[in-house]
Amino acid sequence: MLNNIIAWLDDRTALPTITRRFLDRPVPVNKRWGHALGFALLTTLIVDLITGLLLMTTYSPSSTMAWGSVYYITYQMDAGWFVRGLHRYASYGAVILGGLYLFRLVLVGAYRAPKEMHWWLASAVLLLILVAGVSGNVLPWDQRGYWAAIVETNMAGGTPIIGPMLKKVILGGSQAGSQTLTRFYGLHVALIPSLMLFCGWVFAMLFVFRRRADDETVLTEPYWPHQSCCDIALASLTVALICALTVATHGYSLDAPADPSSDDYPARPEWYFLPLNLLVHEMAGREYIATMVVPGVATTGLFLLPLVAKLLPRKLGSALAFLFISTLAIAALSLTGTAIYRDFESTSYRIAREKADTARDRAIQLARDGIPPEGDSYVLSRDPLHHGGKMFEKKCLGCHPFGGQVQGEPSAPDLKDFGTRTWIRGLLEKPTSDAYFGKVPILDGMKTWKESSKLSPAELDAIADFVATFATIDPEVSPADWYAAPTTKNHPGYTLFQKNCVDCHTMGDPSQAEKKTQPSPDLFGWGSPRWTSRMIKNPSRSTHYGHLEADQKMPAFADQLTENDISALVRYIRGDYTPPPPPAPVAPTSK
Amino acid sequence: MPTRRGFYRFLSMLGGNTVAIAMAVPGVRFLLDPLTKKGQERNLLSLARLSQLQPGKPQAFSIIEEKQDAWVKYPKEPVGSVWLVRQPDGAKEKVLAFSAECPHLSCSVTLSNDRQGFQCPCHGAMFGLDGAKKNAVSPRGMDGLEVDLSDDPDPVISVRFARFQPQSAEKKSLA
Repeated sequence: MLNNIIAWLDDRTALPTITRRFLDRPVPVNKRWGHALGFALLTTLIVDLITGLLLMTTYSPSSTMAWGSVYYITYQMDAGWFVRGLHRYASYGAVILGGLYLFRLVLVGAYRAPKEMHWWLASAVLLLILVAGVSGNVLPWDQRGYWAAIVETNMAGGTPIIGPMLKKVILGGSQAGSQTLTRFYGLHVALIPSLMLFCGWVFAMLFVFRRRADDETVLTEPYWPHQSCCDIALASLTVALICALTVATHGYSLDAPADPSSDDYPARPEWYFLPLNLLVHEMAGREYIATMVVPGVATTGLFLLPLVAKLLPRKLGSALAFLFISTLAIAALSLTGTAIYRDFESTSYRIAREKADTARDRAIQLARDGIPPEGDSYVLSRDPLHHGGKMFEKKCLGCHPFGGQVQGEPSAPDLKDFGTRTWIRGLLEKPTSDAYFGKVPILDGMKTWKESSKLSPAELDAIADFVATFATIDPEVSPADWYAAPTTKNHPGYTLFQKNCVDCHTMGDPSQAEKKTQPSPDLFGWGSPRWTSRMIKNPSRSTHYGHLEADQKMPAFADQLTENDISALVRYIRGDYTPPPPPAPVAPTSK
Repeated sequence: MPTRRGFYRFLSMLGGNTVAIAMAVPGVRFLLDPLTKKGQERNLLSLARLSQLQPGKPQAFSIIEEKQDAWVKYPKEPVGSVWLVRQPDGAKEKVLAFSAECPHLSCSVTLSNDRQGFQCPCHGAMFGLDGAKKNAVSPRGMDGLEVDLSDDPDPVISVRFARFQPQSAEKKSLA
């Protein structure tokens, strides 16, 4: 029965005959494990193809959603981390095996006639693997992929004459954006696999329709089943190693979402481009050596090798080929080692990487609650802890300390917990402390008050409790209504506040300020998002510090911060955000 | 003497190549579309008041503007950042502004650890507080930007943001 089907199939398509010829092709008996290298390489590519197809069922190639979909794959989908890890590590396997495969071809002289095609195809496949790695690295649209894309396209942009145009075409615009990702995606999932499949088809044809044996003197036997067994053995070992690496690192890590405005991300390419990256560093001012000359010479060398070998005497040719490939290998290995060692030694790299890791862990923590439909970048840019903290460091820390953390010489109060009971209680206790107005001699109102005040700690507590409620006053409620409310009148701190504070502070009616002993900020809604954001936007309002001289005022930040920046800042200062988990979340490491 | 076979051969080649070229033209134009797109015109953006800066202490300011990225229009958000360096009193230029994009490969330049200059975290380019390059990594110094000071007693500092071609010794504007 089965034989009949096969016979019928053979009559109509010849596929069984072709398969048989493929399996029965004569292979030398003395190079089993060397031959198996090619099959192991093929296996990694097949793993990449299958896992790639799987990833495509979820991955979303859009610069606003790519990160989220990769987050979902890695942290939410069943076996997602494993599939994605396999995909990445199988590509590493392909790079290593591709390199070894070429190296072996040089050792056995398989670039000479009649194997030139063999050599060219192998070289082409290795280059395709590298391009696939570069384009695939960009797809998660995380910091790592984004900045690698920026650096790599700028290297391409350094090509003489056509460089700038080339860069614009690759990026799909003058800046990396939506079309950068779609272009890299098309390249990664369609163009490169098609070209590889084409190379694979030609390869198979070389075996099936081989016209002559490589070397008549070598003893041969059919490929099936002895050589095939060796092939499967090495391939299984490779897959096992890839699986082990995936499990050991719990998949490949995902960096924080791409942030074009981040100012200290230490961009690094995939490890197999570290040698070129280091060369770029070393060839300062002559980058073209690293970006053009070295890759150009290496690629041209690979493709010209069979022709050069033809022209030279056999021994000289072999020696030259060996020298060429060993130089490449040794240079690549030692440069990679140096690059890793340098980063390991570098303090500034470590600090920048730690910061990037913190952002990554935070993004992954917040992504659990879902990603806003506007896009991945909002996961962090709306987070008070991450974004507010960054804004504080950039805009405020120059003058305001934060929980004792300083940058330069402080000249304003410490803002940690500003707007909360903790802050106000501390102020009432010791206004002259450096954390309050100790560094701001011009604001001596509280100091004067404290010197004459005889309130007990319990009374100060009550006032602090009362003032802390100001932050929760509904912005729609008028001062008169608020005063009339029983919750205000019956508050234990109400009477004390009225007795002690309103001599200087107005409550919602700054026009009364002139009747006060000393000009002071209006406290109605003090510490609320509205009060604090008004303070940040324009401290010169009559309700805030309008009474100060121009050179004593805090600068207005209305033009320099977006609404989102300000709301993140306000919440950061108050500590109003999802706390980071006490221990670092279980996340794959970055290396 | 032209044969019938020769004629068919000619016709096949002609037809095939014509179709291929006809299809290649829109294909290539489609791929090269980004080259036809112009960058946006930029206005002066007010960033800070002079009193906010202290001489010799650079501060980074975000360039906040709307951004059109292919089919997406982003609301106002940071699209880049600049470093403002106030010069000592009496200097001709009161404030220098530098784009934070490294002229080497466009990473973001940050303050060096000792705060006496700038450095790039990617390939270690170093610059002085005046933007001049301190080592050979970058092909040129940091890119200065047009600065405008208002006439107020405490002038408002405005900067016209721009991007320049990396990896070129000459400062060439990127459209």
